[in-house]
Amino acid sequence: MKVAIFPPNSLILADLIERRGHEPLAIMKEIRKKVKDAEIDSPPMNITEEDPIKGLKYAAIEVPSGVRGRMSIFGPLIDEAEAAIIMDEAPFGFGCIGCARTNELSVYYLRKRGIPTLELTYPTTREETMELVNKINTFLDQLEEKNG
Amino acid sequence: MSKKQNQNKVQKEPQCEIEDDIVTRMIILSPSANISQSELVQKLHMLELPLTIKSTCYGAMVHGSKEAVDQAIEKSRKWDPFHIFTKDRGFPPGDPRRCRGHRGAAREGYHQLEKEFNLLCYVGEALKKPEKVKIEKPEKVSVDEFKKIVNENSSKIIDEGEK
Repeated sequence: MKVAIFPPNSLILADLIERRGHEPLAIMKEIRKKVKDAEIDSPPMNITEEDPIKGLKYAAIEVPSGVRGRMSIFGPLIDEAEAAIIMDEAPFGFGCIGCARTNELSVYYLRKRGIPTLELTYPTTREETMELVNKINTFLDQLEEKNG
Repeated sequence: MSKKQNQNKVQKEPQCEIEDDIVTRMIILSPSANISQSELVQKLHMLELPLTIKSTCYGAMVHGSKEAVDQAIEKSRKWDPFHIFTKDRGFPPGDPRRCRGHRGAAREGYHQLEKEFNLLCYVGEALKKPEKVKIEKPEKVSVDEFKKIVNENSSKIIDEGEK
């Protein structure tokens, strides 16, 4: 099954999903497509004129183009997802307000999709980490059982 | 082979090259790994796969065809199943747009990797001793309960304001 992850570049989430035989929908794959494009000099900073147009599917025209541009990368991953794991309060959360708003919008769309979703808080201690791993593994096993 | 089959073969080949054929994967060693970073790189070289292997501070990076990379990842996981972690990478190794040497600072995404790296020993421990846990679905708060909370808090705020 294709599992969307949030943070979209999380090592722990991507690895655990792969270990259980599912496919993590990580941002790196989308970025790779941009890197291979010879027309873009400095991906993902440089976006093509098509990107904000693609982003219109996810954010209105009044929304800053930066958010729309980012959503053109995140959006197709959300559409493709068959399940999702969201990790709140991850330490990656610094950046500009465009990043913050895109993150909020991405989580909103993941929740709105109505697919099986597991919401967790980023662990800081040994006990919390062990509980998180067990919860993720149980969730992924349940997905397998549901789909046979 | 019939003409039609030949045509299909010709059409499929270039598509494979354009799509996800060349990939990069990061192999990250947990702080409690039983294998060192130089050992990992040596073993990867010993696999004799057509790959670009880069030794890094967190482990190694492999770059090449998807088939060869997947093979290397599958084998490397077996060397230390609970302490070797992997993830995809968008940029190829040493790409001047992302390389620390050219940029003069840590590359984007490194800070999160650094934070997650600290938790990897606990993740390995949990993988070694798996436990069944119950996932509780968060329930919605009923209207009555919500009203009760609002009334309690609003009376508190009014009291504080009067003081």
